[in-house]
Amino acid sequence: MDARTLSSPISTLNLNQPCYVELGTSVQEVISLMQEGQFGCVLVVDSQDRLVGIVTERDFLAKIMGKQVNPADVIVDEIMTPSPECLRPTDTVAFALNLMQLGHYRHIPLVIRDQKDAYPVGVVSIKDIMNHVATFLEAGKEE
Amino acid sequence: MLYEEIVDEELAIMDEEPEEPSKTLSPHEIQMPLRSLMRLPVTIELGASIQEAINLMIENRVGAVLVVSDGVLKGIFGERDVLLKILNKPVGDVAQIPVEHFMKADPHIAHVEDSLDTAILHMARGGFRHIPVVNELDQPVGMVSTRHIVSYIIDHFPQEVLTLPPEPVREAMQAREGA
Repeated sequence: MDARTLSSPISTLNLNQPCYVELGTSVQEVISLMQEGQFGCVLVVDSQDRLVGIVTERDFLAKIMGKQVNPADVIVDEIMTPSPECLRPTDTVAFALNLMQLGHYRHIPLVIRDQKDAYPVGVVSIKDIMNHVATFLEAGKEE
Repeated sequence: MLYEEIVDEELAIMDEEPEEPSKTLSPHEIQMPLRSLMRLPVTIELGASIQEAINLMIENRVGAVLVVSDGVLKGIFGERDVLLKILNKPVGDVAQIPVEHFMKADPHIAHVEDSLDTAILHMARGGFRHIPVVNELDQPVGMVSTRHIVSYIIDHFPQEVLTLPPEPVREAMQAREGA
């Protein structure tokens, strides 16, 4: 495993389609979507499809279970992390890894930028990167 | 005169070969034992409530806790279990339900002498985010998470591989790729 492992663009990873919800969606609905699709996070967009936030499993822990509130009584806006750090699909895996480490993130939205607006096109997770590293390790073992 | 000296010195520095940073994880590094990578586990006793387990995860900022009985590992309970088995489900009062009802029993484990690459492969294949590390008595002595592995990989690669260039450079990089 060497620097090449990490210098490929994020877009070359085998990424799953992300899950999107609009501002105002109830947390109960967000949970259902995540359970059905086995998503680790959802991206929150406004009515113009611009990325405004991200919700992860972690948010449910502290903001729902920790406070013992009913998910049906809360909207996604109240528990999401607003304006999350993003990357472009053309950025390298190494940048994603570094950003995950610095910000303690497990998911980073991938966006296309237009002026100040960011339109989400995907999400890269720590799991995607582990799978990528594992592929290199397996290839190395076979050599 | 002094100015020229400074310029010469600067030119000489520019000509010097930059120190070659370690750009690979050598087999020795990738096969290091988990002992030197793992963190202390956060444990909870069998019989404790789901709410207690959740509070422990929030307090300790961890994604999973190990469930033990008499010091022996019985299971693992994490954020994913909360999402998939508890939220939106008619489970009742989480302050009354023991953690063993929703933990994953007999989780995949590793030993302190197991190597990092084995752990990475197990995590990738099994989709695990955490692997408990136990001693010969099945007592948890550590935890390895994807986050620890990311930290370890980052520590072994040079900063220039990892640091995002400033936005104008990225714009230019993208423009070139598109051309």
